[in-house]
Amino acid sequence: MAEKYDLQEVEVWDGNYAAAHALRQAQVDVVAAYPITPSTPIVENYGLFVANGYVDGEFVMVESEHAAMSGCVGAAAAGGRVATATSSQGFALMAEVLYQASGMRLPIVLTVVNRALASPLNVRGDHSDMYLGRDSGWIQLDAFNAQEAYDMTLCAFKIGEDASVRLPVMVHQDGFITSHTAQNTNPLQDEEAYAFVGEYQTYQEMLDFSKPVTYGAQTEEDWHFEHKAKQHKALMDSRAIIDDVFEAFEKKTGREYKRVESYMMEDAEVAIVALGATVETCRLAAQQLRAEEGIKVGVVAPRCFRPFPFDKVREALSDVKTVCCMDRSSPGGAMGALFNEVSAALYSTKNRPLVTNYIYGLGGRDFSVEEAKRIMREQKAHADAGYITTAIQQFSGLRGPKLGFFETNRR
Amino acid sequence: MKGVCATEKRGTKEIGSEELVGWDAVTQGVVINSFEGNATNVASLKQEERNYSDFSSYTATVASWRVVKPVYNRDICIDCQNCWVWCPDTSIISRDKQMLGIDYDHCKGCSVCVEVCPTNPKSLLMFAEHEEIEKALESWPTKEK
Amino acid sequence: MAITPIKNLKEFSTANDRFEGAHLLCPGCAHSMIVRELMNCSDDNLVIATNTGCLEVSTAVYPYTAWDTSWIHIGFENAATAAAGAEAMYKARKRKGTLKDPDAPVKFVAFGGDGSTYDIGFQWLSGAVERGHDFTYICLDNEVYANTGGQRSSSTPIGSSTTTSPAGRVSYGEKKMKKDMVSIMAANGAPYVAQLAPNKWKIMAKGFQKALATEGPCFINTVSSCTTEWKFDPKDTVHITDLATDSLVFPLYEIIDGYELNILYRPKNILPVKDYLGAQGRFKHLFKPENKHVLDEWQKRVDASWERLQRREEARI
Repeated sequence: MAEKYDLQEVEVWDGNYAAAHALRQAQVDVVAAYPITPSTPIVENYGLFVANGYVDGEFVMVESEHAAMSGCVGAAAAGGRVATATSSQGFALMAEVLYQASGMRLPIVLTVVNRALASPLNVRGDHSDMYLGRDSGWIQLDAFNAQEAYDMTLCAFKIGEDASVRLPVMVHQDGFITSHTAQNTNPLQDEEAYAFVGEYQTYQEMLDFSKPVTYGAQTEEDWHFEHKAKQHKALMDSRAIIDDVFEAFEKKTGREYKRVESYMMEDAEVAIVALGATVETCRLAAQQLRAEEGIKVGVVAPRCFRPFPFDKVREALSDVKTVCCMDRSSPGGAMGALFNEVSAALYSTKNRPLVTNYIYGLGGRDFSVEEAKRIMREQKAHADAGYITTAIQQFSGLRGPKLGFFETNRR
Repeated sequence: MKGVCATEKRGTKEIGSEELVGWDAVTQGVVINSFEGNATNVASLKQEERNYSDFSSYTATVASWRVVKPVYNRDICIDCQNCWVWCPDTSIISRDKQMLGIDYDHCKGCSVCVEVCPTNPKSLLMFAEHEEIEKALESWPTKEK
Repeated sequence: MAITPIKNLKEFSTANDRFEGAHLLCPGCAHSMIVRELMNCSDDNLVIATNTGCLEVSTAVYPYTAWDTSWIHIGFENAATAAAGAEAMYKARKRKGTLKDPDAPVKFVAFGGDGSTYDIGFQWLSGAVERGHDFTYICLDNEVYANTGGQRSSSTPIGSSTTTSPAGRVSYGEKKMKKDMVSIMAANGAPYVAQLAPNKWKIMAKGFQKALATEGPCFINTVSSCTTEWKFDPKDTVHITDLATDSLVFPLYEIIDGYELNILYRPKNILPVKDYLGAQGRFKHLFKPENKHVLDEWQKRVDASWERLQRREEARI
């Protein structure tokens, strides 16, 4: 029996340590993992928990991230709670198996510490890996700080393992900014945390020999489409369960989470949409700008990147004049993903606000409160002019001549 | 063509003829169960004692692959079980150390059983698919010198 | 332990098959001979992982499964890791007391073709063996990517004409000898490795049983004569395999704990390698006068390998 870990009411944890504790408290049966910066401390800390008797489950240190997710799929199909951690290149290497995990409807939890993708090689935080996972059929939750990395990881098990969901869940946090910044964190005690997550409910497990089961069958043109549609529906329908789990979590902890987090949006004229730790930067900027310059600005942040909260994004942004979508990933010849998805949601609203796109913070480039304020002022200028006064896609914090693409034709 | 130890379900479905159900009726996660109900210790049950689900390929047939078929002559067979051990299609029906016959629902007509049969004349020979079993047995060759 | 030694074929034939017909493997395919035999060797519950390949695409095509045991396929390369993951889950749940039937005996097995074993899944296999998971990996070695239509793998032997090493006016086909996976796996730390063939069913059954009974990762390379890609008549699968073992192209042997090598079959009459090569379409071009040197090379290499095996058996190193 695993030993109880004595925790203070307030612990000073970074995002990695918070995630590692959440995995420990969920009493995961199998962690199959491979270390990679900046998520390595999750795996190291978990290993230390194992070494000191705080874990009853198996800890398998495999030879690659592809094998980590492969081991997770084999373990999950054998009927138990499974989790791992990764970042960046490791995430890319496991990409093949991510699709297989979701296709088989196996509720694995993957804590992703977001990091840029090479080339050029870079160990710092951006959202390239998170975006790479966006069509993989996983639920993707986004944590903006260490506390949320802990909270979302506990919620992830409860969401993914729900009998009506049975889907794998990623919990994202920003590399270094969140993963390596120690912050005050309020954990649950071990027994409270486990009671919240609950016992793992097996479904079609390979170790139930009274019911032999085949996993990973082939489907060709006669069957593939129906299976993928069923999987997509489960992912879309998981929205209700995510809401329920967030509500239950609030009852337990007082910490409120929503699929789309809105900040100072009640009377906002200008909105910034962002993900990750940037959300907190933008919130501070909005606060200051309202106080200093009276600009009615608010911040909208998808807590749940997948299933994409199309409905909630529409609700949150239906009354503003301009929206700026912040994409922390090189868009590779397109508009940023957040821009595309938010714009698509807003296209069918009556108000149809002006939407612009900033590419920022690639490879860990700092994004400051001042820069956020500058962007907000710029959005205010669009609102006042009634059209987008700059290029629609711009770059923030980039050296060299100003770079931008596409002008509005609504002038 | 129903032969020995056949169950109601053996080889009833031509592959590709199954009902194409909608997305709401396919199995979650493409998961398939081989049996209905409790199938503990399936290794201790003979095929005819098992409760196969419609998802088991046992309930399907590949008989249409065959252009020639093996015919079994009980009178010559010595129950050596060579055909049983090397049949790639689980189509030699042996029970209690005795060869009983061919599972024509699953046999693809590869002729391996005939090749490995050690008797003289052979206890298994290939005939055209349309040949009647009785006629085939009547035309059986005699011992080769 | 539900593994009882098999005395004779009559007794073996009382096993109740757990690999069903109406799978889609070619008529005369050796894969299913090998898989059936493995599954008939033990009454234990089996959890089987299979790499992408002929076996996988022929035995689990929705809505059908040929498997009467728990079975999983993930990708081309990771059956060893899938089995390892399931085995880790078994250990965890056994410890925590969450298994539905904690006393039920279970064995973990992974199957892969030579493409997924020698090439694309090599790293996954090596990792799983190094970590010491309790499972048996069986390579169904037909020396070619058969499922995708006959491309060369690192198991394809010299002189074989494949679609990516075709024989032509200036080429005799594949230029390299195959990788020695059995030695590699023995060096990788597997406590039991063997090369077995379905024509010698009893030797194969014994080897399978040894592997299943051995704690830790075991590796078995099985000769799987491929009627389609080796180009011989489906009826001749067992005969071709006889030629393979009797010409010593595929010697049957085991290595225990990395050093104790035992030769498992010594043909009474060793056949010339050309008898084996001549029976298959993939080597047909080697019998042209200009390719005689390849035939000579083949015989030389087989002789050398047999010599080496015998010396290793003696030396116990």
